[in-house]
Amino acid sequence: MVGGLTLITASALLLAGCAAAPEEDGTDTGAAASDFVPCMVSDAGGFDDKSFNQLGFEGINKAADELGVEAITVESTVETDYAPNIQQLVDQNCSLIVTVGFALSQATVDAALANPDIEFAIIDDAADNDFNGETDAPNIKPIVFDTAQAAYLAGYLSAGVSETGVIGTFGGMNFPTVSIFMDGFKQGAEHYNEVSGTSVSVLGWDGTDGSFTGGFAAGTEAQATAQALIDQNVDVLLPVGGPIYQSAAAAIRDSGRSIALLGVDADVYDTDPSVADLLLTSVRKGIDVATYDTVLAAGKGDFDATPYVGTLENGGVGIADYHDYADKVPADLDAAIQDLKAQIISGEVKVSSYLAG
Amino acid sequence: MSTLVDPAIAPEKVSVVSWKGTIALGIFVVVAVGLFVGLPRATETSTFSLATGTDFVQLPNLVMPTFATTVVAIVLLAVLAVVSALLVRAKRRPPLWLTVGFALVFLFAFLTWASSGPLPLQVPGLLIGTVTLSVPLVFGAMSGVISERVGVVNIAIEGQLLAGAFSSALVATLTGNGFLGLLAAAVAGVLVSFVLAAFAIKYLVDQVIVGVVLNVLVIGLTSFFFTQVLSPNAATLNNPERFDRLPIPVLSQIPIVGPTLFNQTVIVYAMYFVVAGVYFALFHTKWGLRVRAVGEHPTAADTVGIKVNRTRFINVSIAGAIAGFGGAFFTLGLVGAFGKEMTAGAGFIALAAVIFGRWDPIRATLAALLFGFAFNLQNVLGVIGSPVPSEFMLMLPYVVTIVAVAGLVGRVRGPAAAGKPYIKS
Repeated sequence: MVGGLTLITASALLLAGCAAAPEEDGTDTGAAASDFVPCMVSDAGGFDDKSFNQLGFEGINKAADELGVEAITVESTVETDYAPNIQQLVDQNCSLIVTVGFALSQATVDAALANPDIEFAIIDDAADNDFNGETDAPNIKPIVFDTAQAAYLAGYLSAGVSETGVIGTFGGMNFPTVSIFMDGFKQGAEHYNEVSGTSVSVLGWDGTDGSFTGGFAAGTEAQATAQALIDQNVDVLLPVGGPIYQSAAAAIRDSGRSIALLGVDADVYDTDPSVADLLLTSVRKGIDVATYDTVLAAGKGDFDATPYVGTLENGGVGIADYHDYADKVPADLDAAIQDLKAQIISGEVKVSSYLAG
Repeated sequence: MSTLVDPAIAPEKVSVVSWKGTIALGIFVVVAVGLFVGLPRATETSTFSLATGTDFVQLPNLVMPTFATTVVAIVLLAVLAVVSALLVRAKRRPPLWLTVGFALVFLFAFLTWASSGPLPLQVPGLLIGTVTLSVPLVFGAMSGVISERVGVVNIAIEGQLLAGAFSSALVATLTGNGFLGLLAAAVAGVLVSFVLAAFAIKYLVDQVIVGVVLNVLVIGLTSFFFTQVLSPNAATLNNPERFDRLPIPVLSQIPIVGPTLFNQTVIVYAMYFVVAGVYFALFHTKWGLRVRAVGEHPTAADTVGIKVNRTRFINVSIAGAIAGFGGAFFTLGLVGAFGKEMTAGAGFIALAAVIFGRWDPIRATLAALLFGFAFNLQNVLGVIGSPVPSEFMLMLPYVVTIVAVAGLVGRVRGPAAAGKPYIKS
């Protein structure tokens, strides 16, 4: 019976994929000013994930508007959609196909090798599935972000504002693009301890493993994980992974304590005002800007397959404003953050991550 | 507890004692030795924190020497396994308390081993989270119990939960009233049930297939409306007030038990009544007798004048209402907004709880709590830095499910007519 159940679950998932036809926004490029057709495939999170799919979507649409063309975007619902969706865009004569997320890595490489005249870009992945340190196809531009640098600042800041001396983080799943936040956060807090002689501890990430909810849904698991951290007396919380911050926000409100929340990817203060009062800051990842730049360059015929790595230096990553928390962040702490940022840019302070090597 | 089995046709109790359970205990002893002695922890003590701020008496932290505790536990486990083996050899069935005691000792030893280190294991937090994670499972399981007892296999629990979560968020936001949201959730569950009942009872379509298709339909519909309607207008359509926790005076201040059971939202209190109600109604009322009769032997029920298909239709609808109501917990009790596919398979785990609980409301609730505990264990241990890899811990609830349903339950017999449409000849 259990086998049956698993099978049912699996088939339900599979059927879910079949049932929802990929959405297409503006299949027809019409009589556009140019024959450049930018296209995008989301991962299973969809374009309304308030995270990287949504930011990429905004970036491509902004660039398309500017170029006076219409972008073709396709949402994937399950993993088996990826390759067919990319193929569908190839068939639509797309000039540039942007895929979102490392989950599409293999499908993107396969499509790029099969269609050498189409330009590809992949967000959040190096498109290096044989791990030789080079992009697997010459026509793919990887767009990646060394978010550890920004998370490092956030970790330093969090350790600085923490009164209980315990700060925490948890993620959706133990993927490099998720754990890079958690790792930078931890390094930043440890740096704060070194500099100021405190002993703020970071829970939820030990350098290789930590707290994960096992998915990217804002449901019971994410809430329980946040609650477990709150039970350990954390007063700053960094949930990494799409909408799981909503569960963390609910857990914070339930606790009735003063606990600061950190957003990821976008400035969550703007994208979700319902949690604005809890936000200390957000670890920003400029997916929208990077996508915009890539699409714009490709539209003008300057596509360049060298990888884009977002860093503090080029503004690809950063931390957002403190907004409502501004008066709770002491001026000298803020000054220290600005110094630290300069030191990271100059290489004086090293932040390790899989992208920094 | 009365059961419907007629003594005349009930199989005679065969006194064959199986070695299966004892062998399982033996395996666990080996696992315990391997983990606790083979992979000893570097730190010397494990701390269990038992108190929350509002308790009458603040229980002190329980500090255990890690290695000594686990060694004592291994000896105890070995003794229990040997007792079990001796009993089986003497052709006697090992009593239930032996298995339960073994499980508790093993669990305590495992927690001691895994939580070793400076950070205390928050026992109240572990239990509160267990209840939180179990609530949708319990509602789902009650829905499954009623539906299957009346003879309709309800695979659509997942869909009912999701429909309930969606409509409660929408209605509670629009009206500004959480109770209307709860009502809407129940109605949404009933609507899903209507489709199930119509196809399964009236048109005699295979119930499992209808259930699966319904799940897919609800996932598709809610995701579509979420993307197209709720998400762009989140502030006006998907921003319900959550129910506050209502601590019950006095009771909520009992250490450990109080914060776990008596400092919850209305939805959780409703759950206690639903479980008690379903149990009482199913086994101590005329209605319950009819339901079980229809699920066991519809022809016999029909000959004594029970309208089989009508009984089924009504009860499948009630089941849908319960699951839909439970779905509201995700939005109004917990997160405060609907999210795409936010039930994340709870309905399927609830189905497993139904089977593990042998179609009995109380046992199904206990099964749901066990699954909730397994889910929360990984959260709590992940936070304090357990030596078990997080991926393994994430797998734990499903391992528990498989072991529970396939291993511990053994051969169970569900309602005889579940899944079979009744055609009056």
